[in-house]
Amino acid sequence: MSEHQHDSGCDEYNALSRRAFVGAAAGVAVVAAFPAWLPKVVLAQNAASRDIIVSVFLRGGADGLSMVYPFTDANYYTGRPTIAIPRPDSSLANRGVALNGEFGISNAMSALVPAFQAGNLLVVHGAGLVNTTRSHFDAQRFIEVGKAADPNLVTGWLGRHLATSTPVRSNAPLRALGLSQGLQRTLVGAPKTLPIPNPAGFGLGGSATSRDERSAWLRSDYATVDTSIGTPALDALNTLSLLNSINFTSYAPGGGAVYPNSGFGRGMRSAAALIKADIGIEAIQIDAGGWDTHSAQAPLTGSMSRTMTDLAQSLAAFHADTLTGGVSYKITVVVLSEFGRNVRENGSQGTDHGRGSCMFVMGPGIAGGRVLTNNWVPLARENLEAGQDLRVTIDHRDILSEIVSRRLGNTNVGVIFPGYVPTVRGVTL
Amino acid sequence: MGLSESDPVETRAAVTTGTAVELTTDAGPSRRHFLAAAAAGLVLGARELPAQNTGRRARRKTAAPVAGVAASLSAVATPPDSQLAIWRDPVARLVRRITLGITRDELERAKKLGYAKYLDEQLTPSTLDDRAVSATIATRYPTLRMSPDELYAVSQGTVMTELQEGTLYRAAFSRRQLNERMVEFWSDHFNVDRNQVYYLKTVDDRDVIRKHAMGKFPALLKASAHSAAMMEYLDQTSSRRGNINENYAREIMELHSVGVDGGYTQQDVNELARVLTGWTVSGRGIFTYDAPLHDFGPKSVMGRTIPATAQRTGLAGKAEADAVIDSLALHPKTAQYVASKLTKFLLQYDPTDAMVQAVAAEFTRTKGDIPAMLRLILSESNLMVAPAKYKRPYHFAVSMVRAMGPAVTSMSLVRTLLDNMGQSLFAWETPDGYPDTMEFWSGLVLARWNAAGTLVAQTGAAFNFDVTSFVGTTAEAGAQLIVDRLLGGEAPVSYVTRLADFLRPSPTSTARVREAVSLALSSAQFQWY
Repeated sequence: MSEHQHDSGCDEYNALSRRAFVGAAAGVAVVAAFPAWLPKVVLAQNAASRDIIVSVFLRGGADGLSMVYPFTDANYYTGRPTIAIPRPDSSLANRGVALNGEFGISNAMSALVPAFQAGNLLVVHGAGLVNTTRSHFDAQRFIEVGKAADPNLVTGWLGRHLATSTPVRSNAPLRALGLSQGLQRTLVGAPKTLPIPNPAGFGLGGSATSRDERSAWLRSDYATVDTSIGTPALDALNTLSLLNSINFTSYAPGGGAVYPNSGFGRGMRSAAALIKADIGIEAIQIDAGGWDTHSAQAPLTGSMSRTMTDLAQSLAAFHADTLTGGVSYKITVVVLSEFGRNVRENGSQGTDHGRGSCMFVMGPGIAGGRVLTNNWVPLARENLEAGQDLRVTIDHRDILSEIVSRRLGNTNVGVIFPGYVPTVRGVTL
Repeated sequence: MGLSESDPVETRAAVTTGTAVELTTDAGPSRRHFLAAAAAGLVLGARELPAQNTGRRARRKTAAPVAGVAASLSAVATPPDSQLAIWRDPVARLVRRITLGITRDELERAKKLGYAKYLDEQLTPSTLDDRAVSATIATRYPTLRMSPDELYAVSQGTVMTELQEGTLYRAAFSRRQLNERMVEFWSDHFNVDRNQVYYLKTVDDRDVIRKHAMGKFPALLKASAHSAAMMEYLDQTSSRRGNINENYAREIMELHSVGVDGGYTQQDVNELARVLTGWTVSGRGIFTYDAPLHDFGPKSVMGRTIPATAQRTGLAGKAEADAVIDSLALHPKTAQYVASKLTKFLLQYDPTDAMVQAVAAEFTRTKGDIPAMLRLILSESNLMVAPAKYKRPYHFAVSMVRAMGPAVTSMSLVRTLLDNMGQSLFAWETPDGYPDTMEFWSGLVLARWNAAGTLVAQTGAAFNFDVTSFVGTTAEAGAQLIVDRLLGGEAPVSYVTRLADFLRPSPTSTARVREAVSLALSSAQFQWY
């Protein structure tokens, strides 16, 4: 693909990336740190066959049965007298939308229906950890490191994917980022990876006249110290001019996408802008909180309804922006949580920690438009784990390892999910 | 992680030159070599520290391999031992560890008292006269002393701002520095997100955390269990007979007492939730035992049987949970768990089992006496071999203020900068508290550098940084002043030289000196404690 085609085909892309970069490169001050490779590598973009991955962690144990629910199952309704999502064929205003003859998606998440109908969104239900912990923090850790109950495994699955794959751009100063104040466990161990809570605010303040001098001083300071803090500091310095050259505030999403003005929505918008800026970012980790719904869960009109709406609208905007928005990059989005919640509601119109939940996988290379299950059975007490929970019938690693091997082109699944032999579930095209 | 890099790092053995230290000879493997050795199947922790007068070395735990994964891929870089060669003065090391940052005065006083006496003083905070800072706080942050009813009547924005800024002010200026570090520790251990409970956090901070921070662990655990903030935060207020909410029951075991490996089951969580039914809150944050909500049936928690009772009035039902909490508070697993967390917080990220066991035994011997455990952890022999820890943003922010010694009438700016650095006070959403790991925090350097740059530029009445005491007659003298004030006088010679190089174009220009201070605050040396 030629530069000319880029120019004519994708305006917001041009506004974001190469023009800004070329402009920056022309400035004397930033030449030292400016990646001279950039204009050339942009042309080689389509040679890269690996997807970019956006990994979303729903912190708190998301109630999968409020997101995608088995509307033909009477047990669902008897177990949840106040918080069940009405059947799609009900006349109630808060009814869900049927995804197939068995499962519906909650009204709050109906923004995702177009992506599902387009075949780009896969729902995986009854997914989760085989380990039965109901501790948020153990469960999150086990999922993020990719193995349960191994204190010696400190790095994250996505971190090891990046550490065992060659960069898509050999000179990229930043291969991955966590849109977060601190680096999420999922990404720990990844080379050239930083937590960046707000990419638009990424810069070194103070007097402009001394900025390069100060930046050089810090570079020499951190170049002499232990890698544990030296590496991230140098990565940050190397990334400065790159991110500063992207105008996030004037970023115009494609495909008519409108991102919610929420923390998660702004994060997904930044993710899209970063990917379109075409700077060699291969992975983005982003979290959404508020899923620990022990009381007043309110999936129809209240608190969880808002959380789900935010999630769904942000993902839908990202889908429109990056898939139908005229972008040729292939992106896979995966959404998961540490566990689901009890099938039956508790005494405070909420749900306590459970087991299986649902995952979402979205992208042009995903065999979507389906609800993937494995021996789904009615939610009768005798079918539930410990009499109370949706069983985990699909190990989350089955889904992730197929994405890693088929979409991210990394054959080192044994390193990424140590000791696990995944079952192929047909997640990808 | 850069583990494949083979270039040797500067060296270990130190030769003192004045107050600074030059690293000259290669007397030991670097951390990188360390991990490379681990990857090659060699044993970690085998080397002895050079030039240390202590008889033993805190051995790092040997990371067991993860099947099928090279050690370089399963582990992360841990903090450098290099600071051990730079930080030679035991008293300075103690001040770094038990305060929220070195100041010139604090270091002088500690050196005058000596290691043992200074530690004694900090372990008994009531002996330190803190009336000045308390008086300022009482005037400037009046909500901190209010009753729940009074707090309810005030704008919650004001209440939350005063809680954060009052905390920062006290942390920066209180003489009871170890007490403030323990307040930090217990605020994470008994984390309550202020955004979910508002003014109740002010009450919890005062009547639970601060009241017991240097007391006995069982009293602290009990106070927390009676805290309206905790009950609201972990949904205890919505749990009742026949309709339990297990949130608090789980976390009091998993996070507050015996720990996730404490030997309880999901059944125990359910049973403890039943035991706790009736514990709730009424009015404005008043702990209440509401007998009609209590489950009087037979229960069993971790092997402890609670028979059904016909006595349904009075506090008989409440006493069931009191007894369980009492036994959790002194459970051997609690001793282990608390000992391990305390040692990690105060000493090193990866303490040896032997260290943790010793502290756990002290917990058991003293029935959870916090200062007794701290005394054991903070022995000179332990501290002299403990690798550096990385300051979390809160610690970093307060240590900047302490090192700079500004005249302050408002901590508003510091609060905002702390938000930018990712550790907005009392705002961690989940009950596990802010992480204390290096890999979580070490990536967000720009926010730290910008916070340093913003603070050193302040000349207004709210936060006035008088830079004149940092100005030397020459570049070298100026650099040494900065090292003395910010780093307790201990830094590699090459570091002092680089600071001097920065100052050299105009060593007496206050603008230049401010920038040099900001760079020193941003430098790797200042991130450790």
